[in-house]
Amino acid sequence: MPIYLYILRRVLFAIPVLLGITLVAFVISNAVPADPMLANLGQRSISNPTIVENFRREWGLDQPAPVQYVVYLSNLLRGNLGMSIKSRRPVLEDLQAYFPATIELATSSIVLALVVGVGAGVISAVWRNHPIDFVARFISLIGVSAPVFWLAIIFLVIFYSRLGWAPGPGRLDVRLSPPPYYTGFYTIDSALAGQWNTFWNAVGHLVLPSLVLASYSTGVITRVTRSAMLEVLSQDYVRTARSKGLRERAVILTHAFSNARLPIVTIIGLSYSTLLTGAVLTETIFAWPGIGRYVFRASTSLDFPAIMGSSLVIAFVFVVMNLLVDVLYYLLDPRIRAA
Amino acid sequence: MRKIVSFLMFTLMLLTLVSVSLAQDEQVLVYGIAENTDSLDPARGYTPQEGTVNHATYETLVTWPPSDNTEVLPMLAESWTISEDGLTYTFTLRSDVTFHDGSPMVASDVVFSFLRLKYVGGNPSFLAESIASVEAPDDTTVVITLSQADPAILAKLASAPFSVVSEAIVTANGGTAAEDAAETDAAEAFLNSTSAGTGPYVLESWEQSVTTVLVRNENYWGEAPFFDRIIFQNIPEAASQAAALQVGDIDIAADITADQIESLTANGDVVIEQVATPTIMFLLFNQDESIGGPVSNPDVQRAIRYAIDYESILALTGGSGVQPPSVIPVGFAGALPNEEVIVRDVEMARSLLAEAGYADGFTIDLQYPEFTLQGVAIGDVAQVVQANLAEVGITVNLAPGELLAELDLYRNGQEGLGLWWWSPDFQDAVSNLEFLPARTVGNRVNWTDENSDAEIQEVRDQAFAETDAAARAELVQQAQRYLQENGPFAPLAQVGRQIGLRADITGFTFNPQWDVDVIQLAR
Amino acid sequence: MRNLFRWLVRNPFTLMGVIVVLLWTVGAITAHWIAPYDPLAQNVSNRLQAPNAEHIWGTDQLGRDIYSRVLYGGRISLPAGLIAVFFATVIGSLIGATAGYAGGLWDELLMRLTEIFMAFPTIILAMAISAALGPSIVNAMIALVVVSWPSYARIMRGLVISEKVHEYVVASHAMGASHLRILLRAILPNCLSSIIVVATLDFGNAILLFAGLSFLGLGPEPASPEWGRMVSTGIDFFDQWWMSIFPGLAMFTVVMAFNFIGDGIRDLADPHTAKR
Repeated sequence: MPIYLYILRRVLFAIPVLLGITLVAFVISNAVPADPMLANLGQRSISNPTIVENFRREWGLDQPAPVQYVVYLSNLLRGNLGMSIKSRRPVLEDLQAYFPATIELATSSIVLALVVGVGAGVISAVWRNHPIDFVARFISLIGVSAPVFWLAIIFLVIFYSRLGWAPGPGRLDVRLSPPPYYTGFYTIDSALAGQWNTFWNAVGHLVLPSLVLASYSTGVITRVTRSAMLEVLSQDYVRTARSKGLRERAVILTHAFSNARLPIVTIIGLSYSTLLTGAVLTETIFAWPGIGRYVFRASTSLDFPAIMGSSLVIAFVFVVMNLLVDVLYYLLDPRIRAA
Repeated sequence: MRKIVSFLMFTLMLLTLVSVSLAQDEQVLVYGIAENTDSLDPARGYTPQEGTVNHATYETLVTWPPSDNTEVLPMLAESWTISEDGLTYTFTLRSDVTFHDGSPMVASDVVFSFLRLKYVGGNPSFLAESIASVEAPDDTTVVITLSQADPAILAKLASAPFSVVSEAIVTANGGTAAEDAAETDAAEAFLNSTSAGTGPYVLESWEQSVTTVLVRNENYWGEAPFFDRIIFQNIPEAASQAAALQVGDIDIAADITADQIESLTANGDVVIEQVATPTIMFLLFNQDESIGGPVSNPDVQRAIRYAIDYESILALTGGSGVQPPSVIPVGFAGALPNEEVIVRDVEMARSLLAEAGYADGFTIDLQYPEFTLQGVAIGDVAQVVQANLAEVGITVNLAPGELLAELDLYRNGQEGLGLWWWSPDFQDAVSNLEFLPARTVGNRVNWTDENSDAEIQEVRDQAFAETDAAARAELVQQAQRYLQENGPFAPLAQVGRQIGLRADITGFTFNPQWDVDVIQLAR
Repeated sequence: MRNLFRWLVRNPFTLMGVIVVLLWTVGAITAHWIAPYDPLAQNVSNRLQAPNAEHIWGTDQLGRDIYSRVLYGGRISLPAGLIAVFFATVIGSLIGATAGYAGGLWDELLMRLTEIFMAFPTIILAMAISAALGPSIVNAMIALVVVSWPSYARIMRGLVISEKVHEYVVASHAMGASHLRILLRAILPNCLSSIIVVATLDFGNAILLFAGLSFLGLGPEPASPEWGRMVSTGIDFFDQWWMSIFPGLAMFTVVMAFNFIGDGIRDLADPHTAKR
């Protein structure tokens, strides 16, 4: 099957999933015993029937649930995610404001996790049962076992509060104004604008949250890489390569690693979801103005348009990520192409 | 190739230098605070922090000295006269005052601002209740006529809700001072994004629960303040504020706890100012039985007042906190003497509960916001209350909520048993008589003229009208003694305050009306 | 039994995991006798004590003994994770098994459903659910079940599909056994061990997610000695490191121990990996 057909098929498959996501988000929002009116209507308004009436009409709360859902979907098709009840801004605008912060954090974490995780995994497989292997395995175990929020506090107390080595919460020092908006990534934007002061500050602020957020993924990637490498290293063709007198480095890099890529790619795709899980907690502690904190605040104040909008966008990114992983898989593995 | 690279490097270096020097030229003050601002529209906002911000962007007819509330001083008004019957106040305005946009401030702006406050139906609108009319016979004269004598009117006029806004700017952005302003005024969003006042700073931006940025007003009619830019950064937790202050990320931390003083001041970079505040933390009991359930019973209310371990709560509030005998802050004229504080008496509480028919206790939710008030976590106080009430058989389930959502429930009288705080809007005991029936806080527990005693209503009406200071103090005390026996409130603590400053910050003053005066600060 | 013991001795990490889990479990069960203080008893005048002879792990902001609270905390965190995983396994397996066994439209439908649930990032779905139902232990557990059943469903479906072509299934079908009987009596028991392995590996994650929810204030009520809750209270006290370190350490060791056990059981079930 040609690659474009494969992608097209996968995209078509994604549509019902996305639709289902809107439905699940909608059902959760509506199956709530709590009354969004109470949580969101301004003071002195709740006793005023006209204002209550307007509120219900504005948010479609006066319609039966299926109608509300259809209204929501048709708005969605026109790119309208509704208004956040809490911030009183369009949800789309809110997401545009908060999403880049999360992506910036997630990207730097996944890069960190990849470099460290794959490196440690390969090293630990090659030097199996060597002390290095034990150290790498132990550290990866810490990564998958330590609660993210706990690590965040420990890092914050030690490296920010006690030692002062790293900047603290937030994306930038409060004193600095954000760079001009091009992409929403402070590092890229400040570099584009030539504000190197701001650039280094933004990089500094990324260090602690990225380390914390990367911890779990690093652990998982190390473990998967190690066992994938071990599997491959015990295969016949690697033994053959070795016996042919190829240098060990060449054996590991060209033969073994290239075959261990598949499981690694899969786990990276999966890591994305855990990364977002961690992002909610990390962002809360590091006062990171990202999507995680946004969703958290939306759910504590029962701001349904915001919850639904952000779940949808996040799920969309997730589906796209999976799609990319599958395509990558497809390109890397000739067996699937044949099938 | 090499040349290009070195040229690029050189350019980068240059740019870096330029940006660094730009950043250093500006004097920025960073103010860390647990934000609870609901609105920066002077006619709608109603939290202490709104006072701090609006004090820098707006001005009032009269004001207080920097650190106390002993005498009323002129500000936008040069002078004033009061009629014999105490009903007419005539103010003569300064003629050299301009708004942020450079246009002159005239009497009609004052009329617009006050009427807008009165009619807009905002949280502080009740402050303008006693005003019958405001008129501007000419550009520098304002005449306020009261519907009844109001001894506290000058104190009220010194508070942020009576800020003078530009009629032209606010009207152009949807504002109105007409009698139906509650439905038709649409200027709140505008006033939340910028200010339209006469103060030395202009509101540049406000992102709720994130940052508030003020920049210097280049058209200011008076003496220019030191800082070019003031950033209020919301840092909800005291520990984060302390850490940020310690490393110099912020210049002021508004909510330091007493526990943190020692470690913060250890190396001399930080100084702590301890100030007494009139903020009173209290439990409320809804008088509406369908909302309050058992706590709407006066005996239960009284039992709870006796069941609270005030000393434990004081240990949490630390520093300069005290236990107020009732709802009037210690230090105000009319406060009850300290020996009249309620002392914990568990036996008494049990027998009162038995009398009320709850010998076996009951179960109830305690609603409160997740918030750190002046360095005291409300949730910690709630846990002490929970443990105290458990001892007399009342099972309390803690039900914390997000601050602004919970604030709405509280203000709408929807909480059965709640834990809140109150800061006087103006520095006079009358401001705390809002705890009485059919007044602001009274309404929040549905304590109205229908379900309250005639006795307390009478005391209330007299206290609000009495112009003689000594007689008023007597009435205020009478009201409190009634509240100790019957009221739907249990005052828990008058919370002290620790404000941390970087050692190089000078000009610190604190006035309960507006907290720290940011205009006076310098580095 | 003796075999198990011998196997454990040969797998020191798994043995360590078992010991750690046993210690915390026994600690939680016997907390009533071995904890030096009542976990809820406040003593405000004694607050924020650093670890000392009387309070070996210090006291919190209300003067409660942290060691006692951490011991009692095991009574919430451990069962919450286990119960949630149990229900997720049962529900997920049943759905997955019927999908795999029946095939066709039913299978297609159920698998799309699992995809939908899996597309939500776990914590956001869990957060939305527990926020909507209101914060409580039970609701947090419901949220855990809702987010974790789909992966069990998928695994079970795969297992059943590969199992149902086996001769014994075909044979019992020919002998006239009902579908339900075949599924419950013949197929499921053969898939059980694989599912148990997966569930064991998942315990740690479930405990972490539960703690994460209660860290955000979506779990047990504020005063309760739940580990995630305690860590989140500790955030307000940078100088009093013991407030968040010890409950966090409890969580960390338990999760690590479950990971060790999970690894061990997986090796046991799949000797191929054990050799490495």
